[in-house]
Amino acid sequence: MPSFDTKKIEQIHRDLHTHLPSDPALRVKALESLVVEKGLVAQESIDNWIELYAERIGPKRGAEVIARAWTDPAYYDRLINDAGQAVKDFGFEGHATEHTKAVQNTSQTHNLVVCTLCSCYPFSLLGMSPIWYRSAAYRARAVKEPRAVLAEFGVTLPDGVKTRVWDSTAELRYLVIPERPKGTEGWSADQLAAIITRDSMIGTQRELAI
Amino acid sequence: MDGPQDLGGKESFGPIEVNSPDYRHDWERRQWALTKLVATPGVTIDWFRHALETMPPAVYLSVPYFQKWNANNMALAIDTGDYTLEECVTGKAIQPGTPAPVLTVDDCETLQRSLHTDFSRAINVAPAFHFGDHVQTDARPTPGHSRLPSYASGAKGQIIAHHGAHVFADAGAKGDHSAHHLYTVEFRASDLWADAECPDDTVCLDLWEPYLASA
Repeated sequence: MPSFDTKKIEQIHRDLHTHLPSDPALRVKALESLVVEKGLVAQESIDNWIELYAERIGPKRGAEVIARAWTDPAYYDRLINDAGQAVKDFGFEGHATEHTKAVQNTSQTHNLVVCTLCSCYPFSLLGMSPIWYRSAAYRARAVKEPRAVLAEFGVTLPDGVKTRVWDSTAELRYLVIPERPKGTEGWSADQLAAIITRDSMIGTQRELAI
Repeated sequence: MDGPQDLGGKESFGPIEVNSPDYRHDWERRQWALTKLVATPGVTIDWFRHALETMPPAVYLSVPYFQKWNANNMALAIDTGDYTLEECVTGKAIQPGTPAPVLTVDDCETLQRSLHTDFSRAINVAPAFHFGDHVQTDARPTPGHSRLPSYASGAKGQIIAHHGAHVFADAGAKGDHSAHHLYTVEFRASDLWADAECPDDTVCLDLWEPYLASA
């Protein structure tokens, strides 16, 4: 069982820092060799987990959910009321989705998602997070200067649009529903899903290109 | 805790690498898989996070994200006695085990799908706050693990949602699964930052009842 002892774990971290090689590739190789040798995981399982995230789990899942919401008002309401349940229609539930909250952009509000304390992310809906999302710069700045951050992503908000930043401090995970672009009336859910980007679901993109 | 993880509002990190990929190196993918596939018994999500926060601050702030996960996986398993420091340094097990069965991609998908953990709990205490209430967060730095960031401590905000009770992170980091009411609190940017970009902007945080007082 864990000690749950802050002083003890601090000391272990210091010892590891002193004794491990500085190259992270060597550190990961050492951990992988160790756990494979202990019989805790097979090397092929690691390869297969990587393939799972490369091939099957990624932003296309979130895009599919939002495209359905745009084309099915009843589903839209369910997504707003309980996204954690609504994504189960697609079998997309998984790592960090149970308490998903969908937040919609409007002509008056732009939503932006961050996790300042770690890097919480709805993995099962959006796949692995981009490096910038887990970077110190994004975590530090998104809450204090969201407009400057958005400008670096090429986003300028129209006058009268306020930002609402969601800092994922508990187990809720946030999914931004971008505004459906004009000119997509009559499009199928598949056509719509193809234009919904990962960044638009985090909030670092506002306008979708059609 | 007042540690290096508490990054919200900190200055001088410079521009964001907006075109960065999901991974720069193959070892990052492998570490991600290792963290998800090899669990140390008894480790709660909050103890995992708290342990990560106790890395030497200069190291925390300077190494790549998955290097921190690597050190943390080792530290958590050294703490329980499952690995030794020497095993982690050499990559050699003192007592090799029976090889683990191979998980196919489908098996991994089934496992991934099962990870939607429900943190809500039924408790016999009525919520102290309701939609629209004005609250103020605790201004004192919290010992141990906390999910009240320093930039929002001592700040006034308004309850915009109540989520029932969820396992309290501060307790979870001590292996205690007790729960408290969880709320989303919306703060005006100008109540958090003296130099807010726009007075109409807001920041929303999910905060447990023990962090809050009526304002």
